[in-house]
Amino acid sequence: MKPIDYIRIWLACARYSVVRTMMFRFDFIMWALVEFFWMAVNLLLIQVVYDHTDSIAGWSKYQMLLLVGSSMLVQRFIMGFVWTNLFEMARNIRTGHFDFFLAQPGNPLVMVSTRKLDLDGLANAVVAIAVVAYALHQLGIVPSFSGLALYVLMIFCGFLIHYGILLITVSLTFWLGAAQGIEGSYFTLMEFSRLPRQAFKGVTSVLFVWLLPAVVVSNVPASALIHGFNPLNTLWLLAVTLFWLSFAVFVFNRGLRRYASASS
Amino acid sequence: MMTSLAKYRHAFLVGLQSNIVYRWNFGIRALFSLFHLAFVFILWGAAYSGQTDIAGFDLNQTLTYFIVILMMQFFIGAQNEDYQISEDIRNGLINQFLLKPINYYLYRFSIFVAARMVSGLLALIPLIIALPLLKDHIVLPDELWRLALGLPAMFMAAIIQFTIAYIFGLLTFWFLEIQSFIILSLAIETVLGGQLFPLDLMRDRMNWLFNLSQYLPFYYQMYFPTAIFTGRLDQASTLTGLALQTFWVLALLAFAQFLWTRGLRRHTAVGG
Repeated sequence: MKPIDYIRIWLACARYSVVRTMMFRFDFIMWALVEFFWMAVNLLLIQVVYDHTDSIAGWSKYQMLLLVGSSMLVQRFIMGFVWTNLFEMARNIRTGHFDFFLAQPGNPLVMVSTRKLDLDGLANAVVAIAVVAYALHQLGIVPSFSGLALYVLMIFCGFLIHYGILLITVSLTFWLGAAQGIEGSYFTLMEFSRLPRQAFKGVTSVLFVWLLPAVVVSNVPASALIHGFNPLNTLWLLAVTLFWLSFAVFVFNRGLRRYASASS
Repeated sequence: MMTSLAKYRHAFLVGLQSNIVYRWNFGIRALFSLFHLAFVFILWGAAYSGQTDIAGFDLNQTLTYFIVILMMQFFIGAQNEDYQISEDIRNGLINQFLLKPINYYLYRFSIFVAARMVSGLLALIPLIIALPLLKDHIVLPDELWRLALGLPAMFMAAIIQFTIAYIFGLLTFWFLEIQSFIILSLAIETVLGGQLFPLDLMRDRMNWLFNLSQYLPFYYQMYFPTAIFTGRLDQASTLTGLALQTFWVLALLAFAQFLWTRGLRRHTAVGG
């Protein structure tokens, strides 16, 4: 299949997702509200902590807001574009319905990852963008076009990293038969992306800054907006993206070899 | 009376057995919560940098608060009771309770108590493993009244937790899908139940929200018993709180009973 064919299929899937969402409007509103409330919860935490301190690891309130907003943005895109698809993939591997994707003429990973869109997640991406914009406004930062383009690229890298982590977790189903606590592991890791890198010391720094891609995802884009382009940070983010994405694709392909389909 | 209790004792024992089957789930959950504790330690450790006191409490007192609240979650927090009740209604399993001399609320509550005993004890394992790292941070007041008033507060908090979950489960009589309601309410409970930060931290700038929270049931879920044990409430406020907590226990029980009777009117039992 040519790349244009994938785009056509994705557009058809997106259209189908929109129609489906419009059929269950109440559900859409409820889930959009759920995500919105959880975002508000995180913002409230910042407000309360900064009511009692001026800085966390050298980050001021609005810098922190920018950091949390960036982390939210990556998470909303994950929720909007791939979460349901990957979540269902684990179930399909267990039940044998994964055959359906293997029978399609495209790359199984692309087919499985792009089947559905969650509009509630995407609706809240707008809220996350508003949080980032508000933080920038309060900090008096007006990013240049290139600065903004770099930020978008970095958020995209963050998206790919998180996609990789989720894919690895879900691919474990090929071996384990059940990916228990998949949401748990993802959300636990994501929680650390709301903290400034400088707050991590000792073992936690090794684990969450260097070994696991929790901190890099949000800290590098937020720092780029606050302090400008930093080639070392950018390279670090690109390297981490490349590593986790390739590793995830490798794990998925190895898992695929183990897939035995369902007995009939 | 004894025969009546024997029924629920059996439900409790069955609950104990079936929850031990899910020991890995609880174990994994407990492990994830240790990561959450690491998040809390990093955040508050950084917030305390350069100051020894936040709202009258030092870093260790604040960290103790989060350790105790974590324990509360495993010992008295409702976890998936709402989904279980919802499933019972959806699958028609409640039909059997309608025909037998057993109270569905008490039956479910007995299982809830069993489940929390299992999850609470299992959560102790990772905490004991992490104890060498945590022990220097645990500072608990030694006044005896805190234990005497804190334990009943904890028991009533468990009833409130369970009853709220029960009420959400009963919504299945009216709605096909209750997951979004549950997760929405979880966000509110996380904040107003004091799981995100000690509620008294809102006293300075958001006093209105702190005052409001004291009149809502969520305050009495996790925050209230934890605040008693960790020295964040004095005796007078504790006694007033206990009165309000009793009110919420009774009000929620009455509301649950109301929903149960109204819900059953809508319920259709099919098949034999």
